[in-house]
Amino acid sequence: MQNTNENFSFKKYAWAQFKKNKIALVSLYLLLVLVIIALFAPYIANDRPLYAEYEGNTLYPAFASDTRTDSIHNSKGDFIQVLQYDITDWRQLDLTSVIWTPIPYSPGSMDRYNRDYAAPSGKQRFKNSDGEIIDIPSKFRHKLGTDGIGRDLASGLIHGTRISLMVGLVSMGIASFIGIILGALAGFFGDTKLKMPRIKYWLTIFGVFMGLFYGFGQRKYILSQAFSEGIGDGMIAMLASIGVAIVITMLFRILSKAIQFEWLNKEVSVPMDTFVSRGIELLNSIPRLLLIITITAVVERSIWIVMIIIGITGWTGIARFTRAEFLRIRSLEFVQAAESLGYSSIRTIFKHALPNALAPVFVSIAFGIASAILIESGLSFLGIGVPDDIVTWGSLLNLGRQNLEAWWLIIYPGMAIFITITIYNMIAEASRDALDPRLKS
Amino acid sequence: MFKYALKRILTFIPMLIAISLLSFVISINAPGDPVERLSKAAGSEGSAEQQSGASKKIKQELRKKLGLDLPIFYFSITDLAASDTLYKVQDKYHKANLEALTHQSGNWRAVSDYYSSLLNLQKAHQKIDAKKIVANDSSLSLNIVNEAANQFGFEIGSLLETSDKTIIPLKFEKMNSLLQNHVFLSDLKNPLFNVQQSREGLFKNATRWKTYIPTISWYGGKNQYHLWLLGNGKDRKGLLRGDFGISYIDSQPIESKIWQKVGISFSLSLISIFLAYLISIPIGIYSAYKKDSAADKGMSLVLFVLYSMPSFFVATLLLLQFANPDNLSWFPVSGIQDPTIFDPNWNLWMKLKHRMPFLILPIITYTYGSFAFLSRIMRVGMIDVVSQDYIRTARAKGLGEGKVILKHALRNSLLPVITVFAAIFPMAIGGSIIIEVIFSIPGMGVEVLNSILNYDYPMIITVFTLSGFLTMVGYLVADLLYAVVDPRISYK
Repeated sequence: MQNTNENFSFKKYAWAQFKKNKIALVSLYLLLVLVIIALFAPYIANDRPLYAEYEGNTLYPAFASDTRTDSIHNSKGDFIQVLQYDITDWRQLDLTSVIWTPIPYSPGSMDRYNRDYAAPSGKQRFKNSDGEIIDIPSKFRHKLGTDGIGRDLASGLIHGTRISLMVGLVSMGIASFIGIILGALAGFFGDTKLKMPRIKYWLTIFGVFMGLFYGFGQRKYILSQAFSEGIGDGMIAMLASIGVAIVITMLFRILSKAIQFEWLNKEVSVPMDTFVSRGIELLNSIPRLLLIITITAVVERSIWIVMIIIGITGWTGIARFTRAEFLRIRSLEFVQAAESLGYSSIRTIFKHALPNALAPVFVSIAFGIASAILIESGLSFLGIGVPDDIVTWGSLLNLGRQNLEAWWLIIYPGMAIFITITIYNMIAEASRDALDPRLKS
Repeated sequence: MFKYALKRILTFIPMLIAISLLSFVISINAPGDPVERLSKAAGSEGSAEQQSGASKKIKQELRKKLGLDLPIFYFSITDLAASDTLYKVQDKYHKANLEALTHQSGNWRAVSDYYSSLLNLQKAHQKIDAKKIVANDSSLSLNIVNEAANQFGFEIGSLLETSDKTIIPLKFEKMNSLLQNHVFLSDLKNPLFNVQQSREGLFKNATRWKTYIPTISWYGGKNQYHLWLLGNGKDRKGLLRGDFGISYIDSQPIESKIWQKVGISFSLSLISIFLAYLISIPIGIYSAYKKDSAADKGMSLVLFVLYSMPSFFVATLLLLQFANPDNLSWFPVSGIQDPTIFDPNWNLWMKLKHRMPFLILPIITYTYGSFAFLSRIMRVGMIDVVSQDYIRTARAKGLGEGKVILKHALRNSLLPVITVFAAIFPMAIGGSIIIEVIFSIPGMGVEVLNSILNYDYPMIITVFTLSGFLTMVGYLVADLLYAVVDPRISYK
């Protein structure tokens, strides 16, 4: 029935199929919740209150930047004190009215009255604004307990959501970028379809070499300088390097047009498929976790670098799926039509063929996100790659492993990892069923 | 089929070379200097005087023995300005600094002048004898002299390792002020002047254009990679002849280190794969037998959930529940034997009996990792096969359901399961790092992790290459097994 509908579109059909799977739909909503938690983490778990009334001043500490410093005057205009937002203990201030975040602790802040693994329902202590040590008020109770140095577990879990979602997004973003482009080129051109004059082929290879030399070899010190100043600067320098490499390659390709000899201008085919397939085979024959651990041991410790490494080692599956789809698509009528209309290969690949190849690739990306999160938490669990001061689910679980009495440090972070991975796997599985009924299990 | 296998084996060679190159590239970029680490491990760390003397010679010999005084590869791609003899500089940090300086100036000769003038300064500095100075001039105290000399030495050391244009003038300033304040350092005046002169020469004679011209310098067969791959015909035999080199951590041959550890990892993965098959094949059969029943649907959901559960979480949960005095203290927390009771002279049965309690939790975790995955594949494969025409034919001709499933369907549904078999061997050599770390099993996983964390790159390269080789062998074996299981597949 649906097929005869005039407004029939594959997207609508797939979505209708997806919606039939109730568990997957629930997973999708849960994912949305996770995204919201990740986005609003600083307003859910924070040392600083959302709103505070202090000596007649209205403050919004949670929304201010970390470095903010205020001179506080009372209503008569007398100077009281200088408030440095990030190091002030807001719990000790005499606030006339205050709204705390739901979890009034930051992930890294150490509560020195509840050190040494305070249990969720056990005895917890608190220093009130008069300086007395009392039993903890229910508002400030560490509801999921603390770790050995008094960091709040609930807050760590909330902020860990951010990292785990980002790991999935960034690393799979990189992996999809590499995988889709390489897979598309390999599948579309195969070993024989990409033809160019011999001189152009050679000069392109030479141009890539020169591009890498000027883009990366020459700029080696500029790059390392930029990365040492911060990941943002590093990325900009990296993009500039890639730009230089591409421009130089292009220059050599243009140059090849100027050279006219009969033998040099003979068309040769570029074995695109062989290049890509060998690359995939190579990467697949090294155990991935081993490769990732080795690289993270060599480079600087940073969560961004971990994401990038997971991305660069994780594109093979996506490339294989894209390649297989393109092998199928390239003989279909609409691609042939595009070619006979004289469209350039790039336009045919990315504008006409790619949108029709993305469905199975999407599924493999969704599975990939789950495995990226698994790898990152595994690395943090081993204490590799991610810096010690960043709280992640894996590093929390590791703390629990080292002290088995603190069961809350095992159950809660472990469940967080487990649930997130399940959500992604569920969504991936359901969308595979929805997008490609042939594969339905 | 034999021809096919041979052809496949031939493709191993370029792949293995690529893998070894990849791991080689990663490891030469590792921070730290292996010779420093090895000599430290040997206990020859001492004061400055000692270092300059005997231990320096030891280090030099060590470097030569490990082949670290050779160029890295057959050729190197650099720019015109870079020196092709830079590899002869021994200190890794000096080497990096000289490279950076050459990049700034473009004039290798000027850079090497600067470097040798700095080394001269260092030599002159080492000649300063605090005790002699104090003996000559009684107004000085030994502490002051030592402190000034040490400070000067520190500045020289940092000059040798920095190329930062803003820091270097500051260092010069500091050294000059030290010279002014302390007359007894006057021996250093001339060498320091030379250093400053040559430093200026770096920029006066700069030929920066040279850094924009790429060149290839050729080193020939005497290089580290060649030595490692093929040996030198004398004490090193090379990887291809089964010599993996020696470990940078403890100077043990890699080969014996691997042999010591691989047994436990291999047996664990073998046992667990066997158990996983034992569980997952009946599950697949059952699912196909009772397809779409409540039991099947429930099982598929449970398998899915189990599949998403990270094995390190499972392992920690097991420890929490079964190896924890608060809950059930049934099993020991870590290790594979109790060193106070264990006797290496026991026979196999005694050893096994003693180790059993240690190994149960790891085996459960190991099995779990492959079981959930295998069962899912098995179930999907089985259901797929059961819905095919020839099964319908088998049913139509009146065969019993049991015979249909076990005789006709099972064999074909085994295909995807075979693929997993290919993963056993590489798993043994790489070990399951996380599980071995959790249970403190002294297998390959822990060994590999340690060597990575200690930049023991002969070990890392060996493990990479071996596991790459075994993975490819595994795929090949799997492909050949396909042909055995499914007569339709042939490789002709």
